[in-house]
Amino acid sequence: MRESGVAFFSSLTLHSLAMAFVVGINFTVALRLIGFVPRLEISALSRFYVIHWYAAAAIFISGAALLLAYPAKALTNPLFYVKLCAVVIGLLISKRIQNTFSNKPEVLIDSVSIKLAYLSIALWLITLTAGRFLAYTYNTLLASRFY
Amino acid sequence: MIDFLLSFSQATGIYAFMNSPWGWPVVESVHFFGLCLLIGTVGLFDLRMLGFASEISLSELHRLVPIGVGGYLLNVVTGTMFLSTAPDQYLYNPAVQSKLFFMLIAGINMMFFYATTAVNIKSETYTSQAIVRAKFMAGISLVCWCAVIVCGRLITYYRPPYHWCLWC
Repeated sequence: MRESGVAFFSSLTLHSLAMAFVVGINFTVALRLIGFVPRLEISALSRFYVIHWYAAAAIFISGAALLLAYPAKALTNPLFYVKLCAVVIGLLISKRIQNTFSNKPEVLIDSVSIKLAYLSIALWLITLTAGRFLAYTYNTLLASRFY
Repeated sequence: MIDFLLSFSQATGIYAFMNSPWGWPVVESVHFFGLCLLIGTVGLFDLRMLGFASEISLSELHRLVPIGVGGYLLNVVTGTMFLSTAPDQYLYNPAVQSKLFFMLIAGINMMFFYATTAVNIKSETYTSQAIVRAKFMAGISLVCWCAVIVCGRLITYYRPPYHWCLWC
């Protein structure tokens, strides 16, 4: 992974593409729950979760590949754990929203769902920011530094 | 050109901000946030035009597009901040040039869409010709925006470009 330019770049690109789809879909659903485009049915919009879950799987696969390339760089940086927690909680919220609204046009948007939407936006913003800052805040690039 | 961009960046305070400890990653985060807004709205609209989630009304989904335009404007502002702060890293970088090329194609494609097909989408009058046209344009749009992300990744990966760019 580390020595192959193609493998590393492919993982990095896949990670970015998948992240754009996951965050984009979550933002759109959250904005709809908050009140944007009220005539757009949330139950129909949740059909896009199919793509969302494929993209989420791609995030974890490409993320694992990037972690394998530079494990010490990520594992010694607290921001890596912040990003990981934000992604996991964000995806749990996605699952909760999907279960609530998918194929259920009769379900009304309650205050809990609106709060979850705000939390979802905050968590995905944390994910994006932590992800970008990871490239600038590491103290250790390679574990061999310690030998 | 490089001098003009640098003096613009220095005169407006962009250069000082971007060279502060957190300036660059903060602007990068905002840049990617704008891209996510674009993919989450225009990308979903493209997927719908390609036939995915066909029970969603196209005209209703089209109302999300202004959010995507907001994301695009964020990208233009933050992209200008990158370009003007380190013009030598961007102007001659083939990844940037490719990214701008795909953005241009996406822009032309969007103009054709609004000139020929958007009226059918808004009025929900779908002729077979309009459906084929919409699918074709949606495909181009989706490919272009994904290519923009790929080229965006390439910019930093191959920076500086002088040792590999054939025409720089």
